[in-house]
Amino acid sequence: MNAVIRIAMKDLRLLVRDKADAFFTFVFPLLIALFFGYVFGGGGGEKSAMPVAVVNEDGGASSKWFVEQLSKAGGIEAKPAETREAGERLVRRGEAAACVIVPQGFEDSTKKVFSGGGMRLEAIVDPKRSAEAGLLEGRLNELGFRLLSRAFTDSSMMNSFLDSARQDVAKSAGLSPLQKGVFGTFFDSVSSLTKEVTSRSTVGDTNDGETRGGESKEGAAGGSAGDTGGGFRPVTVTMHELQMNPHSPNNSFAVSFPQGVVWGLMGCVMAFGVSLVQERRRGTLLRLCVAPITKDQILLGKAAACFASCVIVQVILLVVARLMGVKIGHPAIMAAAVLASSVGFTGVMMLLAGLSKSEGAAQGFGRALLLVLALIGGGSIPLFFMPKLMQQISSVSPFKWATIAIENGLWRADGWDAMLLPGGVLLSIGVIGFWVGRSAMVRSRHSYDYL
Amino acid sequence: MIRLEGLTKKFGEREAVRSLSLEIARGEVFGLLGPNGAGKTTTILMVIGTLVPTSGDVHIDGKSLGDDPSLRRRVGVAPQALALYEDLTARENLAFFGGLYGLRGRELNAAVDGALEMVGLRDRAGDRAKTFSGGMQRRLNLAAALVHGPDVLLLDEPTAGVDPQSRNSIIELVRSLKGRGTTIVYTTHYMEEAQKLCDRVGVMDRGSMLAMGTIDELLRDHGGDSVVVYHDAEGERKVVTRDPAAEVARLIERGVRSGLRIDRPDLESVFLNLTGRALRDGGAE
Ligand SMILES: Nc1ncnc2c1ncn2[C@@H]1O[C@H](COP(=O)(O)OP(=O)(O)O)[C@@H](O)[C@H]1O
Ligand SMILES: [Mg+2]
Repeated sequence: MNAVIRIAMKDLRLLVRDKADAFFTFVFPLLIALFFGYVFGGGGGEKSAMPVAVVNEDGGASSKWFVEQLSKAGGIEAKPAETREAGERLVRRGEAAACVIVPQGFEDSTKKVFSGGGMRLEAIVDPKRSAEAGLLEGRLNELGFRLLSRAFTDSSMMNSFLDSARQDVAKSAGLSPLQKGVFGTFFDSVSSLTKEVTSRSTVGDTNDGETRGGESKEGAAGGSAGDTGGGFRPVTVTMHELQMNPHSPNNSFAVSFPQGVVWGLMGCVMAFGVSLVQERRRGTLLRLCVAPITKDQILLGKAAACFASCVIVQVILLVVARLMGVKIGHPAIMAAAVLASSVGFTGVMMLLAGLSKSEGAAQGFGRALLLVLALIGGGSIPLFFMPKLMQQISSVSPFKWATIAIENGLWRADGWDAMLLPGGVLLSIGVIGFWVGRSAMVRSRHSYDYL
Repeated sequence: MIRLEGLTKKFGEREAVRSLSLEIARGEVFGLLGPNGAGKTTTILMVIGTLVPTSGDVHIDGKSLGDDPSLRRRVGVAPQALALYEDLTARENLAFFGGLYGLRGRELNAAVDGALEMVGLRDRAGDRAKTFSGGMQRRLNLAAALVHGPDVLLLDEPTAGVDPQSRNSIIELVRSLKGRGTTIVYTTHYMEEAQKLCDRVGVMDRGSMLAMGTIDELLRDHGGDSVVVYHDAEGERKVVTRDPAAEVARLIERGVRSGLRIDRPDLESVFLNLTGRALRDGGAE
């Protein structure tokens, strides 16, 4: 056992000393995770447009304006749908990230922004795409504020708002004549203010969405227009989740950090796979073989070093993910996921080392193959953003199972059941990879390799 | 102590080593001399048990190195392909290999210091191996074979790609190890080294052992004639003879004094006589 640890420590030390290896193993995955997290989080400037189905059940001028603006809004590709059901179907088929419904009565609700109620919108969202839904909610609110600011700069529209409000106040039984008078004066001054204002809205609200039991979440979410004004809630987006699923990533870094894990595992596999091939090709493995230790101790030492660095890179990523506000939903499952993916990718490393005849083969063919597997396994596009077919194809990638395992630990799992498949696949890859790689290396002693 | 019996290795159709038999005594320095591709490395790899012979046997003290870990503790190997971790320092390399032989703590430190001292790398102990010159890397490679104090050493081309200064220090080191009674197998394609160091030399070419014996035996049997050189009134004169001593005596009798010397045959001429090729012109490939 002691020899195994010595060899492992030696390899870890070499890994840290090789700047390129250390970078691709520990730093690059972190950069990827932060970069994608930032981009998914909406901070990334230009993005490809998000497909959104739009259903207009109202018919008024404001709702028409709203739908029009939604189509023009950057980052959103509006897909008009006749009915709520048609829109929902688009979401189900994955052709739209969400379906926005401008419900009947929207026109009226816009006129009641000052007298309570506010604008009401509905949205049907795919819970697996809640990162995008969050983005959408922001855009809807932004449009809501624009609609309001339009009212401030369009006196005829504002007057129609105010008329509606005046009627409500006049009808109201709960207000004293004095109060009614105050409102009247207020409405008059707003009316004259509107005539003066030419641009820029000064209204805003940044209340966070709150959950009110049941299956719908209501949020009067913050927009980016204007300053914060307390207590004023102009836009209410009622979110309907397509199917009940309480498990969704809590922020965009919860999506991007599993991606970072993919690249971290890739870095470990490459660093140790190539170093093992190097040792076979150069004199060091021969030198190890003439020392009084067994071949399995040599390979276990290498495997232990790879396993340890897989664990270390994942722990680093998770610690940073925590700092970025990612919740680790199931710590015990996460621990199992980290161990399982480390075992799995140690097997992948052994396979790479055993099947590569030369350093060039490992660096070229091995890296290319791993790169493809990483890309389809969730390293670039998160698995749940992928089209169905792609999700099926990606099952050949061990990276997919590591991603699912890690996502289970973060948010995906409802319990240990969810770990059976990815955990089983990863452990099998680990055992089979070690065994196949080992036999390939031991067999090759009949030629010029020294094991 | 080391016994090779009918040792043969085929790579496909090519016979890299053909039915090699020899015995090396305890404390002996045995040289395997031959051009590139002669089969020296293949022989060494079979001796240390990392290459399985196609046929034949190797025994060290009656045991096979591949099977017996305790035997491996007594053997040191400096492979032709450098066995060094370039990103570890000289000291770390030696401490790592020493540790694999069960050395710990103070004992390990002392062994590492001793090995560094022997190859003259003490003042570079803290530098990474990759910053070393070719000669220094060879010396470190040798130190890694020595660190656990083996009494059998297998050195595969320990002077390959080395500057003259490092070569001399390696030769001196092997001499001093020989003085301590270490049994050494030394492969080289430099006949001067074999001539300086080895008690016995085996001349290999294309997988076969062509001749084996002490230097004197080889020179006598395969070296061919000596040349006696002297000067007379007409300038330099050369006499080719089987018996240079008698020829010199005859010349002195005739009163020749000036520029008298004997050019004896060397291993170069032994190889030339055995193969019809010069050793330096390289190998079978
Ligand atoms: N793994 C191998 N596969 C095929 N041929 C080999 C292999 N190893 C060595 N050889 C061949 O065996 C011969 C002897 O090689 P080697 O023992 O390395 O020679 P030397 O060490 O004397 O230079 C050479 O012709 C070499 O090409
Ligand atoms: Mg050789």
